[in-house]
Amino acid sequence: MSDVIEPRAGARAGAASWGDRLLRVAHAGGLLLVIVLITGGASLFVPNFLSPFNQFTLTRNLGVDIIIGFGMMVVLGLGHMNLALGAIGACAAMVVGFCLQTLGLPIPLAIAGAILAGALLGALNGVLVVRTGLDSFIITLATASLYFGLMFILTRAEAFRDLPADFSALGKGRVGPYSSFLVIAGVVAAGLVVIFNFSELGRQILATGANRTAASLSGIPVNRVIIVTHALSGAIAAIAGVMVTARLASALPSIGEEWLLPSFLAPLLGGTLLAGGFVSVIGAALGAILLSVLQNTLVLLNVSGFWIQFFLGLALLAAVGIDRWRVVQTQKRGTPGR
Amino acid sequence: MTSSPLLARLLRIEWLPLLAMAVAAIIVLALISSSFFSTYNLFVMLRILSVTSLVALSQMVTIAIGQMNLAVGAIGGLVAILFGAMLELYGVPIPLAVLAAVGVGLACGAINGWLIAWTRINGFIITLAMLSVFTGLNYGITKSIPFYNMPQALKSAYDSYLGPVPMILFIPVLAALGVGFILNFTRAGRHMLAMGGNPAAAELAGISISRTTIFTHVLSGGLAGLAGVVAVARLGTAEPTIGADWLLASFAAPVIGGAALAGGYVSVIGTMIAVVLVILLENGLLLARTNPFYVQFFLGALILLAVMFNQWRARRVAMRVTTRRVVSP
Repeated sequence: MSDVIEPRAGARAGAASWGDRLLRVAHAGGLLLVIVLITGGASLFVPNFLSPFNQFTLTRNLGVDIIIGFGMMVVLGLGHMNLALGAIGACAAMVVGFCLQTLGLPIPLAIAGAILAGALLGALNGVLVVRTGLDSFIITLATASLYFGLMFILTRAEAFRDLPADFSALGKGRVGPYSSFLVIAGVVAAGLVVIFNFSELGRQILATGANRTAASLSGIPVNRVIIVTHALSGAIAAIAGVMVTARLASALPSIGEEWLLPSFLAPLLGGTLLAGGFVSVIGAALGAILLSVLQNTLVLLNVSGFWIQFFLGLALLAAVGIDRWRVVQTQKRGTPGR
Repeated sequence: MTSSPLLARLLRIEWLPLLAMAVAAIIVLALISSSFFSTYNLFVMLRILSVTSLVALSQMVTIAIGQMNLAVGAIGGLVAILFGAMLELYGVPIPLAVLAAVGVGLACGAINGWLIAWTRINGFIITLAMLSVFTGLNYGITKSIPFYNMPQALKSAYDSYLGPVPMILFIPVLAALGVGFILNFTRAGRHMLAMGGNPAAAELAGISISRTTIFTHVLSGGLAGLAGVVAVARLGTAEPTIGADWLLASFAAPVIGGAALAGGYVSVIGTMIAVVLVILLENGLLLARTNPFYVQFFLGALILLAVMFNQWRARRVAMRVTTRRVVSP
């Protein structure tokens, strides 16, 4: 991971200059423009795109995708990764299923239990990263296997299908024509905006991601910050796991298997850096919107599901390529604030 | 270094503890199960080794330069189905099809390497995107339907013997020797390790980062493609799902074998022993008739334990040794 590029060194932790802020707004604006163009085109030319049914399913998937992206985004702020995101989501799904079906707990308690379990598994990732000093990539790759394996062993890969109707009703909630999952995503987004812009923790995460040694020297409890951030990532993954469980009206062990690509796509499209020290909550949400709209449009255009992954890969390449090109152009002219 | 104790001296050979673990595992398995040393069981393990060793080496070379190739499995899968299509649909002679298939792997790696070198974007993102592109191509072409009719000659070549030695034993041995030779005795290999150790210093020393990146990814793609071809021969069908579950194994073996994810240090011998160790673990759980899900759990645990041990060993060695070899043979 030594070839990490740092295009917006000034836009990292600490006071951002006006030039950097402008660059960020330009990035989000560019993303928004692409989304508006695709949505506008789809509304005009793709039949059924605006149908109430499609708007509902689109926004329901979108709500989950946004939250999955957030789960990766918070650890990217540290310059870390969480490849166990899907495994934690699956574990949380099974916990909520177990609490509801086997223990018969009330719904809020079951959901709280699942989120707590996710936070604990995430915290374990953080503790392992801190204690061993190893790359979070390899730690979470190993724990992903560990958590999936443990969950399969404990549940014998059997799904929980007899969930209370009130719980599965959560997946059918509507706000106007849209899914109420968007509200959940909005609440989580608001919480993250507060954390990263107005809280001590957010500043500490970004400072640690930008330069761990400097952060440590300036008195930030780096190890604690890492553990808390991984716990936050686990809790967010658990929220997504519970949402998918409500949508499917059953807790399946296969939940989370396909989260890897979208979890990276949304924040990276949104301008979050792999190197750490910078995150964009709005950007990650916009990235997820772009993904979902693109995916939905391709499905409606009868593009075979097999090709959609191909186009998503190209979209990621195009997005990071354009971003890189823009940074190079800006640097040629001399970035203000550098 | 004159009077270093035996433990420290042994710790310096980083694959020795792994070898001890593998030998111990073999002894335990032989004691537990009478069928462990059966020809059938040994052949089963050898068949797995023929594919997994190539997958591990494919990832190892990118780790050597401090990058990753998340598309190893995707390249293997794409090559596998194109190989199958050449044999079934177009009746291409087997040797020609193997060459063409490996060529596709090299080309996929070249695209990865060129994109990384040209855009200077982190290799993780590029290969993640190409993972999606290659897998999408694979499923788009096959619509998820395997090519079933592989020529009998392919299967019989795969299962043939050279005297008493099964042919498939040559695949991991030759591949390991080849990669070991490149890393230790060629200019390109030295450039790879130098770049992995410190890209800035390597560039100042006149090493072309772009060319080294592209070379490494071509090598990685070629090995992944070869793994795809061998997987088709092993299964007897060209399935689109080949490679889908290679990601964990590809990182597990090099990292257990002592490679530093930051780059600059890999061990071919360590990686190969680690592959054997992982196969023994799977085989042991299989012979003990445990639930297959235990494999995933124990593999995760094994990776964690191995990387922690490697780190402890590295600290011990760093305390005593001032000079350091760059790569073990």
